[in-house]
Amino acid sequence: MPQDNSKVKVMPKAVVCEESKLRGDITFSSGCVVHPSATVIAEAGPIIIGENCIVEEYATIAHRLAPGEEYDDNNILSIGTQNVFEVGCNVEAARIGDKNVFESKCFVGKGVSVSNGCVVGAGIKMIARQHLPENTVVYGEQALQREAIDKQGSQTLQIDFLRKVLPNYHHLRKPNYDPKKARSVV
Amino acid sequence: MSFMQPSPVKYACSCGVLNPINKLFFCRHCPKLRCGLCVCHEIESHFCSNCLENIPSTEARHRKNCCANCFECPCCQHTLSARATTVPVVRKTEEPKDTKEGESVGGAAAAPAAPASSKPSAVPTTKKMYYLSCLSCRWTTRDVGIPDQGVATGTWPDNECLYQARFNTLVEYFQAVVLQDKQEKMDFLRRKAPKQPKFPSLTDRTGLTVSMIRRQIGWTEKTLPKPRPVITPAEATSEVEELPAEIFTEPLNLRNVTTIAQRHSQPAEQPTSVSKLYPQRRSLWIKRSLRCRQCEHNLIKPEYHPTSIKYRIQLFASCHVPEVVMVRCEQPLVAGKSNAILLKFTNPTMYDMTISLLTDAPSEEGEFNAENQGPKEEQDTATPVIKGVNLARQNSTREVTREVKDISNAPIVPLESEFVLSQRDDSKEFDEYVQLPTEEPKFIVWRKGNKVLIRLQFTPSEELSPNTDVVLGFFMQYTYVNTVTNASEKKEPTTHALHSRVFITAGTTEQKAN
Repeated sequence: MPQDNSKVKVMPKAVVCEESKLRGDITFSSGCVVHPSATVIAEAGPIIIGENCIVEEYATIAHRLAPGEEYDDNNILSIGTQNVFEVGCNVEAARIGDKNVFESKCFVGKGVSVSNGCVVGAGIKMIARQHLPENTVVYGEQALQREAIDKQGSQTLQIDFLRKVLPNYHHLRKPNYDPKKARSVV
Repeated sequence: MSFMQPSPVKYACSCGVLNPINKLFFCRHCPKLRCGLCVCHEIESHFCSNCLENIPSTEARHRKNCCANCFECPCCQHTLSARATTVPVVRKTEEPKDTKEGESVGGAAAAPAAPASSKPSAVPTTKKMYYLSCLSCRWTTRDVGIPDQGVATGTWPDNECLYQARFNTLVEYFQAVVLQDKQEKMDFLRRKAPKQPKFPSLTDRTGLTVSMIRRQIGWTEKTLPKPRPVITPAEATSEVEELPAEIFTEPLNLRNVTTIAQRHSQPAEQPTSVSKLYPQRRSLWIKRSLRCRQCEHNLIKPEYHPTSIKYRIQLFASCHVPEVVMVRCEQPLVAGKSNAILLKFTNPTMYDMTISLLTDAPSEEGEFNAENQGPKEEQDTATPVIKGVNLARQNSTREVTREVKDISNAPIVPLESEFVLSQRDDSKEFDEYVQLPTEEPKFIVWRKGNKVLIRLQFTPSEELSPNTDVVLGFFMQYTYVNTVTNASEKKEPTTHALHSRVFITAGTTEQKAN
């Protein structure tokens, strides 16, 4: 398992704090915001995080190894755009689409596949193998599910604010990967 | 005090029900223990627990005990909060400039801009629009198609239920019936006991009656009965609509079906589909005052204002009655084997208490009760006005005393002597504690300030089978210094010897193997 941070790719305009714990082959697309002390672990394969995602403090995104499995470069965990991982959530989902919100302290296990526009409520544990259809809201003590009519509002205001504020107080990882340049080289 | 778990120590209320001390009240005027069942509950004030607005009782009845401004989520019963969005509107030239400023709202979320007008000449301005949203399950009023409102509160539509008209006519009809019944009863009473007028009436002398004068003037008869509103009785029908065919063919989507809780929160409609869930007005809460049924003194009276959690009168038993806490048993509980239990007594009052633990009810207490009861009864009969008030409060002053069921199954060894619990002194807690070499009875394990730990010997009954609860019962007699007295001429505090029956669940018996 690669331990070094050299495999972390940060695209331009992404705000990734240095104090975040990153392990393995992780790609942050442009516009991502990663707070300090957030954790991203690419254990079983690379993680690609889409544009304009927010990973808040103490959030953990993990691509865990199943028992008997080995690191596989082709086993990519692809996370879509505009997802929000709120404070203290722990997401190990197999697939994550766009515009999802993982509220504080929720746990999403390995067997869960999340489509688009879903909300996993605060403190909810999802362990069983399941697929969340589009616009599902999981809420409450009993983890009831309902379908929202419209998608969750975009977080552009919040992202703009964080992009302005975070560099004032934290050291950032320098963008080290430019898709345009990479393309021109190839 | 045990927190969030049932207390093993229970006190018998004067009505005979067992309760932990934190659920009991103490009437200083009687002076007796009272519980929630044997006091008179009165509504002190209505208020909304969300916006903390105080609502007078008449207005509360008018609003069906619901808050006018606060709504509950029909989906998860959480309180809804208003959210603001800015919507671009095209202002026509002739329309006066109107800027709608709402109150401060929970948060402002920018909604995706609605399609701008096709006319390029029109000046697009933004207008604040509000919708209600649940912060727990993200339900919004947009989900059921309620249009956004220009003002945050007050303009949300009330969903009228299907039977509203029918309901209103029924209410009107029965109100008329009640009114007529009352009128007839009053008439009957008046006829039975003719009122003696204080002044001689002119009509009496002339032989004219009011109705005759009225007829002469040409007015209508005064006592014309009002026509009752007509209601049609409900009819049962044997023809029921057939189930739609889809119910058998289409797969059921559970997400569109409401839960039982959701249906119950909307009792008028009881919708089966989530598309018919509408925001519900939040029910009001009440502040309650409790009154002793026997002496009519307030036991609990909260402060009127909803934001205050204080009391004007608070006669909780834990402020007046010595508290007994079970510390531990010395040995495992075995049937028929003598054991000892450690009990901690705490004096909450500002006066020293003398406590004795008895196995039988103290006899002097009975005398005290009797002499106290005597004048009480007399008072009730002598002042019918007070009795009338009682009836209006739909509570009788007669106390229903149940026999306290003796559930104890472990006889105790009575203590050799009584012991003194010193007064509560908050400043003593900070003083350096000096153990005074005093002569203490043997059963006192330790003493500090107003607390005493005693050792009480008992024997679980022989015939107890394993795994049954061992219950100790005793009468705790204590001296209580009453600072208020019923008699007004006596100003100095009087000392009563009171007793209350205490039951302690010590634990379960073990197997008698060893």
